Amino acid sequence: MTDIDLSDLVASMLRAAGDSLKDKWPESKDYAESEFKKIGETIIFISQEVLAGRMSEEKAKLHLEMQKNSSKMVLLTLEGLGLLAVEAAINAALKVVTDTVNSAIGFTLL
Amino acid sequence: MMKVKSNPIYAAHRLAYCAIIFVLIFSVGCTSIKLIADYDEVIDSSVSEFQRNMETHLIKLERNIGTDDASHENSIEFYDEAKVELSSIRVRAAAIPKNELTLTQIELLIQNLENLEKIHQLGIDENDIPPLRNAFNTGTTAILKLELAKKRGIEVGE
Repeated sequence: MTDIDLSDLVASMLRAAGDSLKDKWPESKDYAESEFKKIGETIIFISQEVLAGRMSEEKAKLHLEMQKNSSKMVLLTLEGLGLLAVEAAINAALKVVTDTVNSAIGFTLL
Repeated sequence: MMKVKSNPIYAAHRLAYCAIIFVLIFSVGCTSIKLIADYDEVIDSSVSEFQRNMETHLIKLERNIGTDDASHENSIEFYDEAKVELSSIRVRAAAIPKNELTLTQIELLIQNLENLEKIHQLGIDENDIPPLRNAFNTGTTAILKLELAKKRGIEVGE
């Protein structure tokens, strides 16, 4: 049985967790930027139609409500992707602990 | 190791770290944790089917604007079926543990369907179609993107 170096273990856990979080963020950021751009353009379109007298205020309110709901749906997806990234980070860190403990005691305990 | 014997504070910290790590491992069932629901194929296929039906509806409206074919009365069957479809997806989403995010998304999609029907009752014009299409495409894409991400470890294309 070998000694577990605590600082090495913690550093490895942090590295494993950090890598998982870093990998996921660029994809989420691109998705968020692209969706919010489309929603922004649509809101501008609705405003222009109202100002030009081609859309009633009653209809515009309903359209804006729909765009607001769609934005909320995008934000919920981002929240979910964040949770999945945190989950992957925790599991990556736990795997480091499992591997380290099993290797230290010489058999599969965890 | 010498430090541990000569420095009781260091030893206490080391003990506390070890205790935290072992409690963490055993409290989560040793191997892994789940913070969000698993992927559900039925939700995936049902939401994709809803998106196809909605796009077909919008194309038909776009093509028939200004005629009776684009009237709300002629679309009542579509709205009734779409409401039943989404209600069924909602019930399924609610039955899956840790699925609150998807459940809320489905509820927002139901609200958007109700708003579309209100707009239709006021009379559909050409300039209504682009924002309607964007709202439904953005919403269904958001639901599907999260659902596919729940597959975990499987790369999902943009």
